[in-house]
Amino acid sequence: MIDAPLTGTRPAVVQERRPGRLAGLFHRSESLRGYTMLSPTMLVMAVGILAPFIILLAMSFWTRQGFEFDTTPTFANYARAMSEPIFGAFLARSFWVSGIATVATVLLCYPMAYYVAFHVHRNKMLWIVLMTLPFWTSYLLRVFAWKVILGYEGVINSALLSMGLIDAPLEFLLYSQTAVIITLAHAWAAFAILPLYVSLEKIDRSLLEAATDLGDGPAWRFLRVTLPLSMPGVIAAVFLIFIPTTGDFITPALLGGPDGAMIGNLIQLQFGAVNNWPMGAALSIVLMLWIATVALVFLLVTRKAQERLA
Amino acid sequence: MDVVDQLNAVRSGKLSRRAFSRSLLAAGVGLAAMPLAPRRVLAAEGEQGTFFTWGGFDVPELFGSYEAKNGTLPNFSIFGGSEEALTKMRGGFVVDVAHPCNAGLNRWVASGLFQPIDTSRLSNWPDVIPELAAIEGNMSASGKPWLVPFDWGQTSITYRTDIFELEGEESWDMLWDERYAGRLGSLASGGDAWWCGAIKAGVGFDDITTDEAFEKIAAVMRAQRPLIRVYTDDTTTLEQALSSGEMAAAMTWNSSAVLLKSEDVPVRFAQPKEGALTWVCGPMIHKDAPHLDRAYDIIDSLLSVEAGQFMINDYGYGHSNQKAFDAFDDETLAGLGLSKNPVDILNAGHFMVPQSQEWETRMNETFEMIKAGF
Repeated sequence: MIDAPLTGTRPAVVQERRPGRLAGLFHRSESLRGYTMLSPTMLVMAVGILAPFIILLAMSFWTRQGFEFDTTPTFANYARAMSEPIFGAFLARSFWVSGIATVATVLLCYPMAYYVAFHVHRNKMLWIVLMTLPFWTSYLLRVFAWKVILGYEGVINSALLSMGLIDAPLEFLLYSQTAVIITLAHAWAAFAILPLYVSLEKIDRSLLEAATDLGDGPAWRFLRVTLPLSMPGVIAAVFLIFIPTTGDFITPALLGGPDGAMIGNLIQLQFGAVNNWPMGAALSIVLMLWIATVALVFLLVTRKAQERLA
Repeated sequence: MDVVDQLNAVRSGKLSRRAFSRSLLAAGVGLAAMPLAPRRVLAAEGEQGTFFTWGGFDVPELFGSYEAKNGTLPNFSIFGGSEEALTKMRGGFVVDVAHPCNAGLNRWVASGLFQPIDTSRLSNWPDVIPELAAIEGNMSASGKPWLVPFDWGQTSITYRTDIFELEGEESWDMLWDERYAGRLGSLASGGDAWWCGAIKAGVGFDDITTDEAFEKIAAVMRAQRPLIRVYTDDTTTLEQALSSGEMAAAMTWNSSAVLLKSEDVPVRFAQPKEGALTWVCGPMIHKDAPHLDRAYDIIDSLLSVEAGQFMINDYGYGHSNQKAFDAFDDETLAGLGLSKNPVDILNAGHFMVPQSQEWETRMNETFEMIKAGF
């Protein structure tokens, strides 16, 4: 659309050609075009993620003084995070709760994704939509729904009571780590199903036939062909669930009770009631570093395992 | 660039790479700019004042005169504890009116975020009980108050009369009763719980700043922690737990007991022999309040007789408007733990004493550690 006037009016006045030359430059340079197209996203990333991260990092080296900050850089917050047992204990508990929730989610979602990928031949999209249905309601509503299910007079307790299986409501269901794990596993299911489904769907069916021809039974065929080939999906699912749930705040706040609080709640307290923002910033950085370490270790271990299988 | 043309080009496979990337760019810019467009539409609704308050005060019954004057309710923003609210405002959250209590007054004023209130702009001010406005630290240098008293009441124990077997008199020991381990609830904010701990530990509020007091109260709170089912700032959670029998007793404000009674749940709001915790709360105006006129409308509405009668009748809180009490007889008021003379009630209990920022921070830090199990 810009080419047409350029070819037709070569000897035109220079001023009229200038926008055309700029556009020409724009079209000739591949990277310039790329960056221009990326620019809205990059701007959002820079303003929304990079800048706050730098502020967080800088703040973690400050000290609180009443409501003000002493901006002399110091490692005191990090030293405190290492030395005081409360921080280590909360971190360990967060990894424990989120680790179990991740394993449970992936184990529960794998068969579902497997079924849709291999045994559903019509209306696959409908199945996927149905499985992501819980995501159509707000996260907070899902948490409250679990509160209703697990509660003292909740669905589970009243059902068990009316069947005469228990005499008094089970109290460990709500306000406990169990409640947090159950809710996390349910709420993040769609994040596991989708990557698992994609990686299972991609598996070449002729490989499975070949394995059968060469004498593998269904179990061996699954372990030697399907599982290794779906590992990218499993790894993606594990990351997608483990990383956000470790720092989760609202689920333990509403369902965790006194013993179910996680590191996210501790960080929130630093920015809220305790009013020690630098400490909260330091804890956030420590959490990020730990998640990165755990993720790296997990990645290395799975890669090693895959190599051995291959 | 006609959209239909482009679609046709796509369908016939004739869309040039150049045209395609230009459309992508346009879509990207369009998406990025989208949040700007509806903002202007929303702006009209934002003309109302914003009231930053505790859960439960965001009800139309309290804003009759505001609604009559401005056609709609003010905007609400809710907090669970006043310390959380102050931190949020220090972080740059601007509202028109906020709702702290007397214990935080000094620190809220010292934050420099508020302006004294011109009482001549409040039509209900002459009816406000003067003793309530005369709380410590409320007069600014210009002689105008920082905080207009609105609600007053008690923090005490709401318990199920059919479940909790009382041994002797009502007392704070009820929330430390081992027989009901795992069936007791507490407010999560140190602004209530720590002070109640002080009453239980026998620490006078004048000595609450000493190291010895800290140790004593911390020991009491640690002993209580394994007995507590949940610490929460959400009073609805406590009310539901009490009504289902999940909890036998919980630390609450007046309103929880009144609400539960109105639903025929057999509860009582205890008058512990050691005395309840008493407080006065009220609105303050932000120094940069974007809708100052509306801010005064909000406060005037809160002070009205109608709002007061609702507060007393439906929530069981005391109100600052003397005339609001006229509709109630002494017996009803006594049943609610209220009186036409608030000073009697406030002094009969333990009236919260304003504290320094250092104390508040240390208290919150200690209490949060204890709640976390350390």
